[in-house]
Amino acid sequence: MSSNPPAEYAGVPLPEVRITTNRLLSAETTEKVINGFEEIEHIRQITMSGESLPSKINSGPNKGLDNNHTQRRFVKIGGKDVELTKLVGYFFIELEVEDDKVLDETVGKIKAVCDAHIAHGFNLEIGRYSKYRPTLNDYRGV
Amino acid sequence: MAYKRQFYPGTTSPAVARRRLMDPKVKLQKLREVPIEDVVKLMGHRNPGEDYKSIHPPIEEGSEPDCPIRKLVTPIDGAKHGDRIRYIQFSDSVYFAPVSPYQRAWMYLSRYRGIDTGTLSGRQIIEVRERDLEKMAKEFIENETFDAALTGIRGATVHGHACRLDENGLMFDAWQRYLWDPKKKEVKYVKDQVALPLDKEIFVGAPASMEDLRKRTTIFRADGVDMRDDKEVSKYQHRIHKLRTLGGYQPFKVKGV
Repeated sequence: MSSNPPAEYAGVPLPEVRITTNRLLSAETTEKVINGFEEIEHIRQITMSGESLPSKINSGPNKGLDNNHTQRRFVKIGGKDVELTKLVGYFFIELEVEDDKVLDETVGKIKAVCDAHIAHGFNLEIGRYSKYRPTLNDYRGV
Repeated sequence: MAYKRQFYPGTTSPAVARRRLMDPKVKLQKLREVPIEDVVKLMGHRNPGEDYKSIHPPIEEGSEPDCPIRKLVTPIDGAKHGDRIRYIQFSDSVYFAPVSPYQRAWMYLSRYRGIDTGTLSGRQIIEVRERDLEKMAKEFIENETFDAALTGIRGATVHGHACRLDENGLMFDAWQRYLWDPKKKEVKYVKDQVALPLDKEIFVGAPASMEDLRKRTTIFRADGVDMRDDKEVSKYQHRIHKLRTLGGYQPFKVKGV
């Protein structure tokens, strides 16, 4: 039994880019966007969020039946197969940058990737949207 | 002087659309054709061609108790035959769906007898005797209140009405009951309303354009027609709000409202 939380936090509030897409992205687009980010330097961590796609029918008379959602599937991210369980609508990108110049350059590159792959538009903001150090919640079930 | 029935105040397009849908004299426009067998399959209560199951003997058999109200009310067809009560539930997207759940309740109650309807934030259930339900369901899938992309037929797990649309412009559905067919440029149902896979795909037509929907919708939105821009609707809302609030807590203050 480990006493450390599973997530690795930076410990300091590094800048974070939040991308809110105008439409929920298909698995194919998500794969392209993430692989586009792969090339960019100074990215410490990417968190994706969106609407959950259950693997099984989770209520009603057909509870337990396979859902077979075409968008819940494995995508190739950085050469690895990763199971996508959501229709993605947010990206939170934590940047490891030291000054504003590098920050602007990195954000510019992130925006270029989004422009290339997100057809229906998006909103990009810079700030801090998630916690950067462990809290009691991280120790739940450890 | 005979009282003339009024439906909804206002002059803006959502207000006019609300009045129109509620008025039983207005015949709703039919936009598509879906065979009754397909409607029956989509609901999943019985197989097409199967007999209706009953919960009591037909009324004509005369086993009803002697009751003046029963004599007064003409039973609907399903009640005459003793049909079960079944349901259909529609979910309407906030992105300018042709109608929203609350107006569905007004519309159903204004247009039909023998129904029970329930409103939730994103969905509207309608419960009625099975053979009447099938006729109603066909009507409401085919008419202008249904949009292939922004209205969902969902018996359970209706989540999605307030989510962003997907890349094809369809309302989010965790169970993916319907898909976009890029060849036919139409929406097809592949599962019934409780997610049982269908033995054939059921096409419900092409989605309407956003421009058209913005004109037809009953939804007031800050990025569409703002409710505050309709003075009469605002006045009516304020009046109800004031009466409800005062009526609940300080009824002695309700004077001349």
